[in-house]
Parts: sequence; structure tokens; C-alpha cells
Amino acid sequence: MATTTLAPRTAVYGRSRVYEWLTTTDHKKIGVLYITTAFGFFILGGIMALLIRTQLAVPGLDFVDAATYNQLFTMHGTTMIFFFVMPMTTGLANYIVPLQIGAADMAFPRINALSYWMVPLSGLLLYSGYAFGGAANAGWTGYAPLSGVSGGRLFEGVGIDLWIAGLVLVGTSSILGAINFIATIFKMRAPGLTLMRMPLFVWNTLVTSVLLLFAVPVLTAGFVMLFIDRHYGGGFFDPALGGNPVLWQHVFWFFGHPEVYILILPAFGIVTEILPVFSRKPLFGYKAFVFATASIGALGFSVWAHHMFTTGAVFLPFFSFFTFLIAVPTGIKFFNWLGTMWGGQLRFSTPLLFALGFISLFLIGGLDGAFLAVVPFDFHVQDTYWVVSHLHYVLVAGSVFGIFAALYYWFPKITGRMLHEGLGKVHWLGMFVGTNLAFFPQHLLGLDGMPRRIVHYADNPGWGPLNFLSTVGAFTIAASILPFLWNVVISLRKAPDAGDDPWDGNTLEWATTSPPPAYNFDSLPPVRSERPLFDLKHGAVAAHAVAIPAAAGETHEETRADAPEEMLGEPIEGHEAGQIAAEAQPGVSEAAPDATPHDARPKADDEPTPRRRKSDK
Amino acid sequence: MLAAPANTQLREFFRTLLGYLTRLTSRRVLWSALLAGALGAVALVLAACAGTGQNVTNITNPNPVSWFPPVPVTEQGDQVTGIYPLIFAVAVAVFVLVEGLLVIIALRFRRRSSDPDLPAQMHGNNLLEVTWTLIPALIVAFLFWQTVDRLAKIQHLSDSPPAVVVEVTGFQWQWTFDYPNQGALSFTGSGTTGPEMVVPASEPIRIRLHSRDVIHSFYVPLFNYKLDVIPGRTNEFEITIDEPGTYGGQCAEFCGLSHADMFFTVRAVARAEFDQWVTEQQAAASQTPAPLPSGGQTLTLNAVSVTAFDPATLTAKAGQPIVFDFHNLDTTNPHNVAIENATPEGAWVGTPIANPGQTASYSTPPLQAGTYTYFCAVHPTTMRGTLTVQP
Repeated sequence: MATTTLAPRTAVYGRSRVYEWLTTTDHKKIGVLYITTAFGFFILGGIMALLIRTQLAVPGLDFVDAATYNQLFTMHGTTMIFFFVMPMTTGLANYIVPLQIGAADMAFPRINALSYWMVPLSGLLLYSGYAFGGAANAGWTGYAPLSGVSGGRLFEGVGIDLWIAGLVLVGTSSILGAINFIATIFKMRAPGLTLMRMPLFVWNTLVTSVLLLFAVPVLTAGFVMLFIDRHYGGGFFDPALGGNPVLWQHVFWFFGHPEVYILILPAFGIVTEILPVFSRKPLFGYKAFVFATASIGALGFSVWAHHMFTTGAVFLPFFSFFTFLIAVPTGIKFFNWLGTMWGGQLRFSTPLLFALGFISLFLIGGLDGAFLAVVPFDFHVQDTYWVVSHLHYVLVAGSVFGIFAALYYWFPKITGRMLHEGLGKVHWLGMFVGTNLAFFPQHLLGLDGMPRRIVHYADNPGWGPLNFLSTVGAFTIAASILPFLWNVVISLRKAPDAGDDPWDGNTLEWATTSPPPAYNFDSLPPVRSERPLFDLKHGAVAAHAVAIPAAAGETHEETRADAPEEMLGEPIEGHEAGQIAAEAQPGVSEAAPDATPHDARPKADDEPTPRRRKSDK
Repeated sequence: MLAAPANTQLREFFRTLLGYLTRLTSRRVLWSALLAGALGAVALVLAACAGTGQNVTNITNPNPVSWFPPVPVTEQGDQVTGIYPLIFAVAVAVFVLVEGLLVIIALRFRRRSSDPDLPAQMHGNNLLEVTWTLIPALIVAFLFWQTVDRLAKIQHLSDSPPAVVVEVTGFQWQWTFDYPNQGALSFTGSGTTGPEMVVPASEPIRIRLHSRDVIHSFYVPLFNYKLDVIPGRTNEFEITIDEPGTYGGQCAEFCGLSHADMFFTVRAVARAEFDQWVTEQQAAASQTPAPLPSGGQTLTLNAVSVTAFDPATLTAKAGQPIVFDFHNLDTTNPHNVAIENATPEGAWVGTPIANPGQTASYSTPPLQAGTYTYFCAVHPTTMRGTLTVQP
């Protein structure tokens, strides 16, 4: 099963490590660059969150002044969305998608590198606001005219311009990345890997990329309009010149709503990868997952004005209807996830814990969304802490949990080392408890009428204690990151111990070494289902409920070699029917399908399966 | 020696404790827990030792915190009370169902050493999948129907405007309430208290929203309602306040530096009381202005443009009110003068705002010695000057 690393015929030419990393076009190295950069911004954005929560811990504090506070929540939101979640999921996809489709790299490796390097550069632009009299301070949504001009008056300073510049640049990075992923996924799949056999992580990356392609240019256009208003006498959003401030909101949210699906779909994909592996069962309703993902992507473009219900300027029933509608495919995913686990054999390793945490807590964020679709209720809680609670449940309990699940799941593949399970569980517990402590009380605050984006609040009954609880939760989340970081440090220091396939995975990335060689695969297993590696290890007959008609005298426990050709799908060029199975599974006999060539059955506790060594076949 | 010295005993105690803890967990986990505790302690220390700054004291919801929105005091707010328990019940039901299934799954389907190599490899079940698509679809269809129905009632405007129409103007960071039908009464707030809107209870009143600058939002939690205040657009809504009382409100759309301090109140009174209040206010407004306080000082101040006062520095004496002889020389923009930190409550704002070409006379409270910033409340970040108050 393992690809052997052939002795290179030519010597690797000497390059310094730094030069290699600065100039690499290898999707795996670029993926690692994205992931580490994103994590750095996560720390920055997280520190801002702690400062915000400290200021709000008790009523009437003066820990930071209003000017600083307004910059804090603006930069926190912008950093977490554009510089943490998006580059992190892009990095994970960069590393994993080509492996999962059996490709050697992305379609456009040099554009891939360019897309990455635009991220730290745009981050620098964004943060340089601090050096020039103040960072952006109009909220991550930057509503005009506050971010622009009204009645000839420019409200905020150069921090907004640097915010615009940074986001236009990072948006361009996203657009280029999206084109790259779409091209890669459509054109570079291994033979036999039809669209309906792609791993769900790849499907989610594809739909995310389509969303990026259609949404980000709209945001960029909005920024250009805003810049023209700010500096060239434009009147897009300035009512004194015949413009309309609500237009900004339409343009922004036409991007902004697909954006939230851009943030969550990769996490959906990650959870959908992890559950079958750790339940030892196939995905329940593969086609439904694909349909639900595509529907969410499409419907995501129809709901944008539900962020604008209180403007008095939108046709409310339309947007309420589609907001309700989009709950249906999301619900389908939930039930299909449960169905995947039902009847399975769950191994509670850290990746599964984060996936379960995702399901149990993203549920709350999703239900919040259904509440908000009820327009009369939205009138009460729009722009209050109810919305802050909702968005943090879907983004922290959703995207961040998904990201950590991915990091724990794919760390062995990327580094060749297993992460310590005990530390992982401490991290998980801290994040689970901290997330709920931090964000659940905010529902009640919002219901009670506490607006958002306020530097201080009056001592309404109950607001102080709930805010304090929320602050404790935020610090708990922060504290839980420490065992994670420590885990990474100590795990990187040890000798490689993961092997190719520590989790007994289903998909192609586990069919090569950890980490993979530069060219990814020496050879690929035959791809005849959505679980090519599972088929290879456990025999395709056992894998599918479809009965293969028995030839006269034979039992049902045949090998693939006996399966009629129609069952096998397109044959690989140059191979005759039946030869595939023999080449791939030399050890499989006509006996029971569980005479698998791998070493030992996975253990019942949380230890990973014994490593497959290079000498095994 | 009968007993070891105290410090040795202490050392022994900690050594034993550490050994015990290290046996329970790993040393690494111990360090993590310690760091986590330290961070938590830092949080508490930070919270405790941060000084108290300018408090806002405006209570917008005197009710205890609840799982339900505050009981609304308007007829329209009852639409929210009507639907919320329903969505809440649906949400709780779905929550219990999904979380319950998760718990069952986690307990029942743990991998056990007695398990066969693989469980039954189910790929799906069409009936189940159709069911769990249709049932949520029906639930959301029902909620949508309820939404549209109730929305119509909230947004209803009478064919002809009611007797009391309040024109609300929001600007950075204050409110003005105008009563065009009650003899052009006008009230602008000052400091964080904000203005008070007095209205009759038990009859429809219309509130119309205008902005001078950026987007604000008119939010009264006890109405369960807000509507945005957008420059270039007039939003309006009608409410009937069932219960007389005073209801706090604040701006709910981020509007810049002092967004958190932009409060107002709505006081609903019986009709008779409202009429009397109107009469009193009209009388007060038509009175000849009180003579300038004796010993008062008059400073001439011109507003030249959206970025400049003339002069940009002023001096005055402490302990006496300052009278501003204010001229708005700008031909296109309204201006006024305000002073930061003039009172313990916050800023003093001169009212009414002078339109282009107008003059106005503003009288401040007596100020203590010190340096103050004066600014235009309409253009607070770009029109600023320094006032030195000498003892």
C-alpha cells in the first residue's frame, strides 16, 4: 500500500532551506506556509478578543478607551475572517486536495505561491494602520457613510484606506486560489475518480471556490467604490451627491453572506471526512451530502439582505423565505452525519472529539439563524449580542472546531508524527467549555437588549455577571490553546512515528508516506468508489452492500477479480479487466474478505492503528 | 528535635503533592493546567485593577435577564411575544433530538475490543433521508407563514398620520426630537442622558427617522423593535404604547467614537397629561429668553467650514457661565458649539443647532479652571478648538 520512495536518479540540487521555503511552488509547502501564517493571525486576533472581553468584563471599566476599542473589534473581526479562517482552510485544502484526488500538485503552482505571499503582505498593509494614526475602526463590515463620506464629510482616517487596500489584496489572493482549486479539481483527478467519488472535503473546497469566485469580486468592487467616495469625490454612498448608503450594505452583504458559507463549508468537509474514518462506516447518503453542499452554495447567494432587515429598505418576505429554506440542506447534513455514526464503531481520538464538538455546538449557531429568519424577532435582536452569540457559535464552534479537527487529523500526514492524545483532549475540553461559557450568555444579553460594538454598558440587571462569565469563557479558550501549542512543539521534536495511515483512513492521502514525497505518489490504488484506500485494504466486496452475482458453484466471498466488468467502472488504460485487483491485492485469496493484508486490527481504545511500514505491501 | 522546622515540612508537603499530581497526570498536562489557571487569574486581576472610567448609567431594561425577550409595552411588540415561544419550542425540540442522538451514539457505538473488524457498511436509506428533508421543510414553511403574517401587523401604517408625529434626528452622538404638530417643539439631548420623548399612551404615534451624518438605529428594547436611521432616507414606523412608563433606548448601529453613549428615553403618559405637557413646553419655548447671567462673559465664535472654527483657541474665566455669540458663516452646513467634559455627565452641547447663515446664543454652565476642547456637535472630529479656563 505504501508508496516506496525510490532512490532519486539525480541528486537534489543544493538550496538553502530558507530559499526553498521562500520560493517553493510545492502545494504541500505552500499549505504549511498558509497554515502557520493563519495561526499567527489567530493568535493576534485572539489577543484582541481578550482585550475586548477584559474591557467588557464588568460595567463601567476604562481598560481601553472608545477609540482603541473601536479599532479592536474591527481588527479582531477582519483578522479572524480574512487572515485566520480563510487562509487556514485554504492551506489545509492546498495540502490535502491534490493528495485526495491523486494529483501531483495544483493546476497552477506558481499562482499558488503568489496567492500565499499576498496574505502576509496584505496583513502588513492592514496592520500598518496602527503606525499611521489608527487602524481601521468602522467594524469589519465597514458600513458607509461612517467608513466613507456623507455631506462632504470624511468620517474616519487612513486606517480605513489601509483596510481597503489590505482586503483588496487578500481578496485577490482568494480569487486566484479559487481559480486554482476549480481547475485542479476538474482537470487533475486520478483515473477512476469521478466527481461522485470525490471525497467530501474536495467537494466542499470546490463549492467554496465557486462561491469565492462569484462573491469576492463584488466585495472588491465595493471597496473601489468606497475608495472613490473617500478620495475622488464619488457619490456612490453619499446622499448629498445622490448616493445611497444602503447600496454599500447590498454590495457588502452580497459578498458577505456567501462569505460565511466560504468560512463554514471547509469545516463541513473536514467533519464529513473524519466521521466515516472514526466510525469505520461509509458516509451515510453521499449523494445527499453533495446535493446539500451545492444547494447551500447556491442558496447562499439569495439571502444576503437578511443582514439588513432593520434598514427598512429591503423586501422582507423574500429574504426571510430563502433564509428559512437554507436551513433544510443544513439539516440534511446534520442527520446524515448522525446516520454515518449510527451503528458504527467509534474511536474517540481527538479529531473525532472536535468533530463531535462541532456537530453539537454548530447546531446552536444554526438554530440561532432560524430564529433570525423570523423578521419580527430580528427587529428586536439585530445589532445586539444575540447576533454576536450566533456568529461566534457558527464561527468558533463551527469553523474553529473544524479547523482543529483537521489539524489533529492531518498533522500526522503533514509531519509524520502523531500528536499527543492526552494534551489534545485537554485542549478539546478547554475549548468546548470555554466556547459555551464565552458565547452562550451572549444570547441572553442580546435578548435583554444589549447592543453590539459598544465600549461600555450600563449596569442593567444581570448584564454584569453574564458579561463576566463570557470573559471567563474567552480566557478559557485562550488557555486551551496552550496545550495545543505545547503538543505541536513536543510532537515535532520526536522521531517520525505515524506511518502512512495511522487512522485507517479511506481516502488517497493516506496511500502515500507521511509526509508525502515531493511528487506525492509513486502509484495510485485503483479508484472505484469514494473510499479507494478502504477498498484496497478491506476488499471492495466487503465494502459495498451491493451483491455481486455469484457464478455457478462460487460463494459470495469472491474477490474483485471475479466481479463483472460493469461493476468495476472504467478500466485503467493498459490494464485488462481483473488484472487490477490482482496487482493491487496480491495477498487477497478467494477466502473470506477479511483476510486483509494489513498488520493488525485497530485497537479498541484511542491508540492509533499500528504503523504500516514501508516494507509492507 | 521533636518536629522538623516549618519550612522543611512545607517543602515535604509540596513535594508529596507534586508527586501525587504527577502520577495522576503527566507533567506536561500539569504545566498546561497551571498556565491555564494563571491566565484565568490574569483575567481577574486585569478586570479588578482596571480603573473605572466614565460610567454610562442608562438602564434600557430594568427587568431581570430572561430566556425570553422583555415583555413589550407596545401593541406591535405583542407580535414578537406571540411567535417567540413557538420558535423557542421548535429550537429546543431539535436541540434535544440532535444532542440526545449524539449522546446515544457516543455511548452505544463506542468501539469495543469484542467488535468485528468492520460494522455493517450502510450507505444510506432513502426513506429516512426523504423524511428528514420533508419534516424540516414543513417546519420552516410554517414559521415563514407566521413571519409574514406578523410582519404585516408590525409594519402597518395608518392611512393618515396620527395626531402625534415625532421627527427623530440622529447625529453623532446625540438625538433631536421634533414635534411638528405640537407647535414645533424641539428637544436635543446633552451628554449621555439624551433627550426625552414624551408621547401619549394608548393611541397610535408615528416616529419618523432622519440622520444628519452616518447610519444610526432607533432601538427601544422594551418595544422589541428597532429601525435604522439612514442619511438620505426617511424611515418611519407606528406604535401604540399600551403602558405608561419611561423606556430607555440607545443607538443600535455602530456610528463612530461615542456610539456607546448615544441614549434617549421615551416617556408614555396618559393623553391628558401629554396635552398638559405640550402646553407647558410651548409656554417655556415662547418665553423671552432669560437675561444673560450677570457677570457672564461673552465670547464670539464663528463656524467657518466643516473643518474650522474661528478662532481656534479661546480663553475664559472659571466659575461663570460662558455665553457664546455664535455665527454660522458656513453657507452649506449646520453647526453649533459643544464643550467636552464640561459637566460630570459629559459634554455640554449648545442648542439649537445653527443652520447656515444663522446666529445663535448658547449659554454654558460655569466651568472649572482647566483646558477644555470645544467642538461642533455636528462635526465633532473635524471642528475642534481649545478653550482655556482661567481661575
